[in-house]
Amino acid sequence: MAAIVKKASTDSLAGYFFVGPSLLGYLVFVLGPLIAAVVLSFTHYDVLSAPRPIGLSNYARLFADPRLATVYRNTAFFAAASVALSVSLGLILAVAVNQRLPVTIKYALRTAYFFPVLVGMIYAAMVWKFLFNRDLGVVNYYLHFFHVAPIGWLTTSNWALWSVILVYVWKNVGFTMLTTLAGLQNIPEELYEAARIDGAKAITAFFRLTIPLLTPVLLFNVTITMINTLQEFDSIVALTNGGPGDASRSVVMYIYDQAFRSFNMGYASAIAVTLFVLIGLLTLLQLWGSRRWVYYT
Amino acid sequence: MGQPSLGVLHMTTPTLANRKRARLGWGAIGTTLVIAASFPMVAPFAWMVTTSLKTGAHAFELPPAWLPTEWHFQNFLTLFQSNVPFATFLWNSLEIAVLVTAAQLLTCSMAGYAFAHLRFRGGKGLFLLLLTSLMMPIQVTIVPMFLMMSAVNLVDTQWAVILPLATNAFGVFLMRQFFLTIPRELIEAARIDGANQFTIFWRVALPLAKPALAALAIITFTNTWNSYFLPLVFLNSWERMTLPLGMFALSNVYGAGNVSVIMAAVGLAICPVLILFLAAQRHIISGMVGSALKG
Repeated sequence: MAAIVKKASTDSLAGYFFVGPSLLGYLVFVLGPLIAAVVLSFTHYDVLSAPRPIGLSNYARLFADPRLATVYRNTAFFAAASVALSVSLGLILAVAVNQRLPVTIKYALRTAYFFPVLVGMIYAAMVWKFLFNRDLGVVNYYLHFFHVAPIGWLTTSNWALWSVILVYVWKNVGFTMLTTLAGLQNIPEELYEAARIDGAKAITAFFRLTIPLLTPVLLFNVTITMINTLQEFDSIVALTNGGPGDASRSVVMYIYDQAFRSFNMGYASAIAVTLFVLIGLLTLLQLWGSRRWVYYT
Repeated sequence: MGQPSLGVLHMTTPTLANRKRARLGWGAIGTTLVIAASFPMVAPFAWMVTTSLKTGAHAFELPPAWLPTEWHFQNFLTLFQSNVPFATFLWNSLEIAVLVTAAQLLTCSMAGYAFAHLRFRGGKGLFLLLLTSLMMPIQVTIVPMFLMMSAVNLVDTQWAVILPLATNAFGVFLMRQFFLTIPRELIEAARIDGANQFTIFWRVALPLAKPALAALAIITFTNTWNSYFLPLVFLNSWERMTLPLGMFALSNVYGAGNVSVIMAAVGLAICPVLILFLAAQRHIISGMVGSALKG
């Protein structure tokens, strides 16, 4: 008995020691600043003078700020389109590649699709910025063969956000493809065997077997892409810098501008709090809603 | 991490459904589709390489060259001879990425081991708490973090970027998932032999975790090397800037005139990531994709 108690207590000590550095980092750089951001959101703070409590004024201002409505609309559109495209294209590509192919072709395809995932968004965007150039860019050059008039991809408000979405999906689809592929290969062969014996056609097996068994991976892809796109900063800064006007500006860019260009630290914190609450709620909603459509074996 | 990732690696298990589809001709359509769709995946890199090797005057020539038409290596030299301190940017990025990676290997493997194999009060709760930071945009906490860093005079030093990245919830999660695959009996056996938890961690668990450590190291290095937002907020003098920030400085100097030089810079910035990827695809993919299946 004494030995067990002793073992448990040394385990505890060691446990706290081992998680200590990570826990400290979390308290100092995540939880502490989060609480501070909530506190700051009730103040007026321009860095020059000390923070001054102003109650709910910053939150009242949220509803009166037309730019905030614009950046939230942009962010929602960007996230929805990127999630839909990344997850569905990832699924299609994974199914297409999951068949008998020579090993070298598979290796080449996997490299081609996955490499952009690892390349810094700033670098990828720098290249795309030139490809999207209206008069000298490669994209419009090839489109003109299809009699498409030159498009101002990054410079017109109709296209700016779509351009950012395209680049984001281009960079992200390799990730959703490989997670989906791993999910596909986890499905036991016998299930298809059984379906075939029961007389199911390949197409039926796909919709009744493959898709339901893939739902956990699809949920993962939807959740992770949503969380990432709701906080996208790099690609927009490098491609359009939020423009033209605010046409492609995202919420996190607006937070940055308010905090570090206009020095409205209090207002920036209030926006940050709303974004955090929103992402938290959406994530919970997804995990809760997933019980209706995700199939766990 | 074991099985699913191996499946991705070898891709040798075509399902019966696929074999049927192949007979129906769907397989051929699928193959054509993935191969055709891979061109736009690669094209931007091809354009970057050929452009980086052109003289500035030819950089925007259409139709674009997909294979190098000239070998103007001067662009790469220009980077190191101009007023913009490109070598300094490279060094700063390397320094920050290496230090952050080293720190995370230690902090994440320690915490991951504790969450997987040590029983302590509040352990599960702490783990879940750490995971919540995965859905927290850095922009939410950046204002207090900036005020904190300026209070301790760390703004415009590399520490302002390194310290917040010294541990990471994804890394802890990755390491914990790996340590869970180490049989409890192995740890118990070492304990019965009289080893304490530190010895077990250092001599038994860590040596077994080399694949996971490799994955974490590469993912962390790449993410830090590419990171833009924290350096943007914290580093403002040219002597401190990292590569992604320096890219904008370069664009301002060369943007209008010489795209080739910028593409040379992008090429150099991507190089380390490309080398790591070709050398350790297996580890990277199993680390990133494995988390999807175990999540």
